[in-house]
Amino acid sequence: MQTHIISLLVEDNPGVLTRLSGMFTMRGINISSLTVSPCEKSGLSRMTVTIKGSEAELEKVRKQLSNLIEVIKVVDLKDNEAVIRDLCLVKVHTRDAEARTEVMQLSESYGARIVDASLESVILELADEPERIERFVELMKHFGIKQLFRTGITAIKRD
Amino acid sequence: MGETAKKLSGAEIVVEELKNERVEVAFGIPGGALLDLYEVLYQEEEIKHILMRHEQCAAHAADGYARASGRTGVCIATSGPGATNLVTGLATANIDSSPVVALTGQVPTSAIGTNAFQESSTFTITMPITKHNFLVTRTEDLPQVIHNAFYIANTGRKGVVLIDLPKDVQGNRVEVELHPRTTSPGYRPNIKPNQVQTKRAAEVLLNAERPLILAGGGVISAGATQPLRELAELLGAGVVTTLMGKGAIPEGHPLSLGMAGMHGHVYANRALNECDALLALGTRFSDRLTGWQLDQFAPDATVIHVDVDAAEINKNLPVDIPIVGDVKLALHDILKWLDKAIKVDKEGKRESPWLRRIKEMHSACEECIKDVWRAGSSISDVVIKELSNILDGNAIVTTEVGQCQMFAAHYYITKEPRTFISSGGLGTMGFGFPAAIGAKVAAPDRQVVDIAGDGSFLMTCQDLATCVENDIPVVVCIFDNRYLGMVRQWQELFFDKRYSHTNLGVTPDFVKLGEAFGCYAERVEKPEELKSALKNAFESGKPAVLDIIVGREDKVLPMIPPGGGITGMIGTERCKRI
Repeated sequence: MQTHIISLLVEDNPGVLTRLSGMFTMRGINISSLTVSPCEKSGLSRMTVTIKGSEAELEKVRKQLSNLIEVIKVVDLKDNEAVIRDLCLVKVHTRDAEARTEVMQLSESYGARIVDASLESVILELADEPERIERFVELMKHFGIKQLFRTGITAIKRD
Repeated sequence: MGETAKKLSGAEIVVEELKNERVEVAFGIPGGALLDLYEVLYQEEEIKHILMRHEQCAAHAADGYARASGRTGVCIATSGPGATNLVTGLATANIDSSPVVALTGQVPTSAIGTNAFQESSTFTITMPITKHNFLVTRTEDLPQVIHNAFYIANTGRKGVVLIDLPKDVQGNRVEVELHPRTTSPGYRPNIKPNQVQTKRAAEVLLNAERPLILAGGGVISAGATQPLRELAELLGAGVVTTLMGKGAIPEGHPLSLGMAGMHGHVYANRALNECDALLALGTRFSDRLTGWQLDQFAPDATVIHVDVDAAEINKNLPVDIPIVGDVKLALHDILKWLDKAIKVDKEGKRESPWLRRIKEMHSACEECIKDVWRAGSSISDVVIKELSNILDGNAIVTTEVGQCQMFAAHYYITKEPRTFISSGGLGTMGFGFPAAIGAKVAAPDRQVVDIAGDGSFLMTCQDLATCVENDIPVVVCIFDNRYLGMVRQWQELFFDKRYSHTNLGVTPDFVKLGEAFGCYAERVEKPEELKSALKNAFESGKPAVLDIIVGREDKVLPMIPPGGGITGMIGTERCKRI
C-alpha cells in the first residue's frame, strides 16, 4: 500500500466536494487527507487528495476522477517531482520549566513557531513535509499532546 | 451566444431550451413544485407530454424511448416523492449508458434545507446514479445548464443527467440569451481512437487463427453494427454479444454465436474460451458475462478492448491492447488498416478451420434448441421460441427481469439493433413494460412486445392506464408461473429447493386485470395458442395483456453456477450436440 497524492483542478460549484468524495466511497477507496482551496483562476478550486492503494487502484481512481464533469485536470504527483507541505498546530503540555525549555529547544530545531503559550501548555505551528511533521509530533508525544490539528497535504509540481 | 435577449420565466426558458434540443416528447407527472413548468407545457404544442401513473415508469419510458431511438429521453417528476420514485429508473438507465435527461421540481431556494413539504435532496440522492446532475439556483443559468445536460447525456459514454429546478427558479422572469453553444470546460469525451493502437489491433486480428468479436451495448450506442459486420466477414471472425449487445449483428447471421455469459449459449462461451484474439467492443466485462473464473475467459487470446470510457479499460479484465474511443470510429480505423496496409486473403479466411468450427457449433446449437423445443418439457422455452418465430425479428422487444429475460436473451432471435431492450446492469424488475411504452412512442409504426414475468409485471402494471389513455398499443406477454422464477430456480439448484418467499401464491386474473384497464386481454394455456392470441392482440389496436401459462418450475438452462467460469456451465445435457 503506497500513498498517492492526486492534485485536482475543479470547478468551484456547490456540491463538487460531495461528488468527489462520493466517487471515492462508491469505488471503495478511503481518503487519507483532502484539502480544498481557491487557486489562481477564479471559478476554479484546487484539491489535493491523498489515498493509500496500489498503482492499479490509483489508475482506476485517476480515470474515474477524469470522468467527473466538474473535474478539469487530474495530476498524480510523485514525491520527487513535487513540493509537498502539511501544516500542524499542536498543543503540548508544559508542566514545569524543564519541559517548557525542552519543548522550546526542540521546536527551534524543527523550525516550529510558538504561536501561543500558557503556564500549562504551548501551541506550536509547523509547516513542513509530512514526514518531518510526523517526527516532530512523535517527539511532542513525549511531553503529552493535548490537541493536534493537521490541515492535510497540499502539493505543487516542480517545473 | 445565440439569439437576442428576451424576458422569460424560468419555466419558459426550460421549455424553449427543450425545443432547441429537439425534444418532442416527455414522460412525467406534475406536482406542487412543478406548477410553473406545467403551466408552460399546458399550451405547448411542439412537446408532447405523456402523463404516467408512477414516476418510476416515467424514467423507464424515457429510457425505453432512448434505447429504441438513440435520442435522448426526457422524464419529469416533482420534488420529494416524485424525485425519489424516479431513482430506480434513472439508475437503470445510467448503468446501461442510456441517454436520459430528468427534470425534477424542487422547493424554492429559500426553503431548501428546511425539511419543507415534499423536500428531498434530489441533488445528493441522484449524484451516484447519474452521469451528472445540476441543482439550478439562478434562473439565468438555465439555458447553459439545459444545453450542457443534453450534450453530456448523449455524448461520450451516454448516461443520465438530472436537473433539479427549485420553484422560484422556474417562476422568476429574467432577461437571458437563449441557446448557448459552449459546454463545460471539464467535459471532453475522448472519441477519437489512437492510430497506433488501432493499427496494432488490426495486425493482431489479421494474424490470429481464431479471431472472435465480442459486441457489447456500446456497438449499438455508437451505431457501429455495419462496420462490425464488415469486419467480422472480412476476418472470418465469430461474433458473440453481451445481453446489451443483442442486435449488434443479426442473430441468424452465420458468424453470429448469440449471447455469451451466465445464461448465454454454450458455444458462445466456448468460443470465448478458445479464441486466440478477442476484439471486445463497447463492453465492460461484467460478471454476468465473464463468470467468476477469469482464467477461463479468453485465456489464450490477445485481448483488444475498445471503449469510449477510459475508466472501463483494465477495470474488470486486464487487456493487451486498450483503445479508448468511439466504437464506430475504431472499427473504421481497423478496417482502414486492414484495407490499406495489408491484403486480406478473403477466400482463405472464409475457409479457415476456426470458421468451420464456428459453423459446426452454430448448427449444433440450433439442433439442440430444436430438441428442447420438441421435448416440450419446459414450456417457457417453447413459448419464447414460438414468440421469436412469430415476431420474426420485426418487433421491438422489451423484457422484464429474471427468467423471462434470460429465456428471451437466449432464444429470441434479434435481427436489428435497438429492437431488444432489457435492463442489463441494474436488473430492474418492472422495467420492461414502461420501457415498451417509451419504445412504442419512439417507434409508433413498429410492434412492441414486453416479455414479462408475473412477478415483474405487477411492479409497474398501473401504467396500463397510461397506455389506454394515450393510445399506446403495446403487447405484454406475461410468462405466468406464479413464482419469482429466477430466485426460485436458484433456490432449487443451490438452496435445496427451499422456496423461501418466492411463491406468489394467489396472483390476479391478468385477463380481468387487463380488461379492467380497457386493454385487450387473453389467456394462452398452450404455446400453440400464442400465434392467434398475438394476432388478436395486434389486430385489436389496443394495449394488450396476454397471460401465458408456463411451467411452474421451468428453469433457464444452461447456466454458469455462482462462482463458476464460462466453461463450467450446468444444465448442458440438453446441449449434447456441441
